[in-house]
Amino acid sequence: MRYAGRWRSRITLGVPAAAALLLLVVPLVTLLLRAEWARIPSDLATPNVLPALRLSLTTTSSTAVLCLILGTPLAWFLARSEHRTTGWVRALLTVPLVLPPVVGGVALLMAWGRTGLVGQHLTPLGIQIPFTTVAVVLAETFVAMPYYVLAVEGAMRGLDPRLESVARTLGASDMRYLRTVAIPLVLPGIASGLALAWARALGEFGATITFAGNFQGRTQTLPLLVYVELERDPQIAISISIMLLAVSVLVLGVLRGRWLR
Amino acid sequence: MSRTAESPRWLDARVRLSRGAIDVDVALSAEPGQVIGVLGPNGGGKTTTVLALAGVLQISEGLIRVGERVWDDGSRPLAPEERAVGLMLADSLLFPHLSALDNVAYGPRSRGVDRRRARDRARAELDRVGLADRARSSPRELSSGQQARVALARALATDPQLLLLDEPLAALDPDTRARTRSDLAGRLAAYDGVTVLVTHDPLDALTLADHLVFVEDGQVTQAGTPAEVLSEPRSAYVGTVVGLNLYAGQGDSHGHVRTADGGLVVTTSPTEGSVWATIPPSAVSLHLHEPEGSPRNAWRVRIASVTMQGQSARVGLVGDLALTAEVTLESVTALGLQVGRDVWAAVKATEVRTYPR
Repeated sequence: MRYAGRWRSRITLGVPAAAALLLLVVPLVTLLLRAEWARIPSDLATPNVLPALRLSLTTTSSTAVLCLILGTPLAWFLARSEHRTTGWVRALLTVPLVLPPVVGGVALLMAWGRTGLVGQHLTPLGIQIPFTTVAVVLAETFVAMPYYVLAVEGAMRGLDPRLESVARTLGASDMRYLRTVAIPLVLPGIASGLALAWARALGEFGATITFAGNFQGRTQTLPLLVYVELERDPQIAISISIMLLAVSVLVLGVLRGRWLR
Repeated sequence: MSRTAESPRWLDARVRLSRGAIDVDVALSAEPGQVIGVLGPNGGGKTTTVLALAGVLQISEGLIRVGERVWDDGSRPLAPEERAVGLMLADSLLFPHLSALDNVAYGPRSRGVDRRRARDRARAELDRVGLADRARSSPRELSSGQQARVALARALATDPQLLLLDEPLAALDPDTRARTRSDLAGRLAAYDGVTVLVTHDPLDALTLADHLVFVEDGQVTQAGTPAEVLSEPRSAYVGTVVGLNLYAGQGDSHGHVRTADGGLVVTTSPTEGSVWATIPPSAVSLHLHEPEGSPRNAWRVRIASVTMQGQSARVGLVGDLALTAEVTLESVTALGLQVGRDVWAAVKATEVRTYPR
């Protein structure tokens, strides 16, 4: 549709629209322009980067596994419950989505710290959580779990409840129904939930540095290393950033191509 | 139902529960091999009854007993997987990620049969519904009629004592429905448990069931064999289903029936007291002038609707008595039967049946 006087509306709307686009695109393009592509492989193989890379991979994988084995049952209960409290639980789940990660880190410290609610009972056993690799996983799980649970719950709510009625009359217990019908049918939701949660865990910075600190080989993940290297050797920071950007785009591509539309 | 008191029937169910806006109280009983047709308007409690029999819903009072075993007595219900029950719904609800064969084998597998024997059984069941050659197909690749047959095979593969079919043909197009109905009839003839068939299609009920139960607003309004129901409907809904004009009224010994709306019907078969009176639509003749001679019933009526049905027309009439007449298409044109026209409706007294209410 074309209307007279469209140029005026094009300008009044087009200028801010272009500005918004530029705000998003310019930094990314600059990052790509500043990259020294030939250096990237060697940058990523330096003794500083390798431990962080390894740590990021192990902690994000652990987070993904925790989401899978703990988050799937939670999503199951949320999807099936019609109780009033379900709404509150779901609201609680969304808090970490919008909470400043550093606040999450403080909260984790309050819970798991030496004198924390849970931590004080662990200290006598000789178990210390903060500033360990376990703390990194806890921080990543704290921020990533909601993405997983909400994605999987949505997929489970999409199942026809009559499928369960039929499966039950065929002799399936609810566990067997979950294993043989519900989970196979929500696999796409589980996969996209895992991808989202993993990507979120990979980028985790605020909660990690607050709760786990920044110790090389133990709690220094890739985002933390980027922050450190920016002071020391910006080119390495850029190389790592390029890799993280590539991973993010890859996850996005997988999600869009297969499950998100 | 008087037989219940003498010897307990094989299926003996009194389903009482509240769900949504309706209080359901439905009694069903049958012997092995029987098909109970449950009919009634939508939202009347048919599906609720079926889900209670399946164990998906629990009854609040009453009893569900099959053979020797009590499935639910209002306090300790057996879970669906503990009941020997088969369930088939309007949408075939096949598991979309399993082949036809694995859908049918799902029941035996869930009940502890090993994979090979479950598949052998599934193959045999698919063969009995004529789908042995589609065993490897995924539900997506099957037509709606084939999906319904796989769903039936799946429901029967666990040897249920009670087979529940909730509108099994409702989702099918008319051609497929007719074919699937005869497939269903063939398969049910070889089934020795009790079948409860919920439908709102009278044709399903009359061709498949040997006992009919009408459920309206959660209550049984009529139960009996198709022949009994066809000749003596006992609610307005049943009257509509079997296609008779039905009136509740008061009869006297002279053959006069005063209907609830104040109409007067004369019959040669008088019943005294509270009665039902039926008039077959085909016994109603329409005239432009007051008919002379023998008919004892003649009412001044106005045409409210005319619908075609094959070579005849059904004419809805209001006036001294509300009734439906079935006339030939020739008379529609010859008499100029148009909506709004005033005519006379005549019925011979011998065509009016009465029976106690």
